[in-house]
Amino acid sequence: MTDRYISKESLGTLITTVNKSGGRFVAPVLDARQVVYKEVASIEPVVDDYILPRNSYKEVAFPQTEVIYKYELNRAGVTIDPVEIEARETIVFGARPCEAASLASLNSVFTWDFIDETYTKREERVVVLSVGCINADDECFCTTVNLSPKSTTGSDVALYETDNGYIATPITDKGKAFVKTYSASFADTPKGEKRKELIDPEKIEGVDLTKLGETLAKTENYDNPKWAELTRKCCGCGACTYSCPTCHCFDITDEGTAFEGERRKNWDACQFDHFTLHASGHNPRDTQYKRYRNRFMCKFHIYPTKFNSTGCVGCGRCIRVCPVRLDITELMEAMSK
Amino acid sequence: MGKMEKELREKAKELLESGEVAVVIGYGFNRRKTRVTPVFITDPAETDKLVFNALCVNNLSIYLTRKYKDVQRIGRPAIVAKGCDIKNIVVLITEGQVKREDVYIIGMTCEGVAYKQELLKEKLVPEIMPVKCHNCDVRNPHVTDTVIGEKSDFTPPEEPTGMVFDKIKQIESMTATERWDFWNEHFTRCIKCYACRQLCSLCYCEQCITEKNMPQWIETSAHPRGNLAWNLIRAMHLAGRCTFCGECERGCPVNIPLNLVNQKLVLTVKNAFDFESGYDENVHPPMIVFKEDDKESFIK
Repeated sequence: MTDRYISKESLGTLITTVNKSGGRFVAPVLDARQVVYKEVASIEPVVDDYILPRNSYKEVAFPQTEVIYKYELNRAGVTIDPVEIEARETIVFGARPCEAASLASLNSVFTWDFIDETYTKREERVVVLSVGCINADDECFCTTVNLSPKSTTGSDVALYETDNGYIATPITDKGKAFVKTYSASFADTPKGEKRKELIDPEKIEGVDLTKLGETLAKTENYDNPKWAELTRKCCGCGACTYSCPTCHCFDITDEGTAFEGERRKNWDACQFDHFTLHASGHNPRDTQYKRYRNRFMCKFHIYPTKFNSTGCVGCGRCIRVCPVRLDITELMEAMSK
Repeated sequence: MGKMEKELREKAKELLESGEVAVVIGYGFNRRKTRVTPVFITDPAETDKLVFNALCVNNLSIYLTRKYKDVQRIGRPAIVAKGCDIKNIVVLITEGQVKREDVYIIGMTCEGVAYKQELLKEKLVPEIMPVKCHNCDVRNPHVTDTVIGEKSDFTPPEEPTGMVFDKIKQIESMTATERWDFWNEHFTRCIKCYACRQLCSLCYCEQCITEKNMPQWIETSAHPRGNLAWNLIRAMHLAGRCTFCGECERGCPVNIPLNLVNQKLVLTVKNAFDFESGYDENVHPPMIVFKEDDKESFIK
């Protein structure tokens, strides 16, 4: 399929058309002084001057909190009502190429030994329209993890900014089908409309992913004093995990009374001190650096070796959002030596 | 490097070399030297890493609490602290969390810091300073073992001023429904990352009420009900203790105006008990003391 073009006006029509046909259109908007992905019904709130939204769009397939089933206990016995998974067509517009690579990683976790339908059924209906970056900030490090604003991994349609719209390159079958379904919004590229130049963020010199993987694979490095030295400042909040596009841990909790209520699947974070607390009272990750080490190992050892996928896409959200400015790339550098 | 930094490094070196402290908890630059981050200096040769400037927004007193067992294991700490940070250390002392003699306080005179590090471009201007700095009465740190820096002659305004105070007045004039809507709108954004709790040195409980799950007192789900419950319970637990250091609001990744809650608590406690926390390490906060002449009868 050849490149298509979508003007900003047609994008507006696309948003309303998707909404009218019962789909969701998710795009970056300004909310409480920050850019976030949110459902939109029209183009008005959509912004285009941003590096990355604060949140990850993983939440369209893996919501922060959701009801799995409802329960009721009465004289007749126990009734359990599973909740229908609402999987609507969801268009994610304005995803950055780094982040687009993340859904594949989440897929490998949620389909590994058990198919988690609460995730897969929604993910199947997600169409990712990535927009290549023309700007980056100090925290961006996609090129250090072998991605770049040019990457198309995970994008269904890769969009590239022009002066008045976007040039659209369909990548996957899903993307091609999308462009076909909504063909009225797409046109041939008008004369004079050219792709703006993509930025090329500088690679962090001291990081070597192969060496990093080797370091982490060696069990003797598990107790390397560097872990504590570099990460004991971690305050143990979940800001990084909850903004991260590849973090996927969740907790199951019951809400209600003994007689009726609901069972929920909620995001959880390995950075919380109670995450690994055993019923016995023993906590194998009893200090913060051990929790941080787990998160780091998950990204750069477990994901690559167990799932052969990208654990970290270099979006830099965890650095931007960290209240103690713990910079994951500094640790990547230290562990590459 | 400024004169203050030079003095700070010398002092840190002296403390570590003499063995008076085992670790200096302070601020250091990141790799790009664009932001500062907490550092733990144990080697006298590494005291050059310490910096002090308007980016030093973090309240490092969290590292004195029992949550940080591995920091405690290093040994007696010295802490680089601004006046506002010292207020939190004072509360920790009055609540029996830290013994005064167990911490060496390096008090830094301060001309204000940025509300958030990313706001600081070239130099500190009043517009990017948090409300606490504009009304600061501890620019000359009040409980210290040593003071670094020239004496500040800043006098805070008689009546505290700033956006937080204006907004509180505005909220007070709202109807109950309007207030409910205002707070729900903000709390709905909460993602339950607990950065507010983790950055608060006065949230030192090893088991927070949200983690008590038999039964689950506070719903952990990030739905409006759970978010409201969490934010209200945290506010209540800080009444009479919060020093308005502003760390919770600074760390909040979704910009919930927590400073409004906290300053309102500070004002309420001041009106009811004529008490402001964080000034005197020998005076206990009103919520944890019992007085025989208490005018309320229910407690007797």
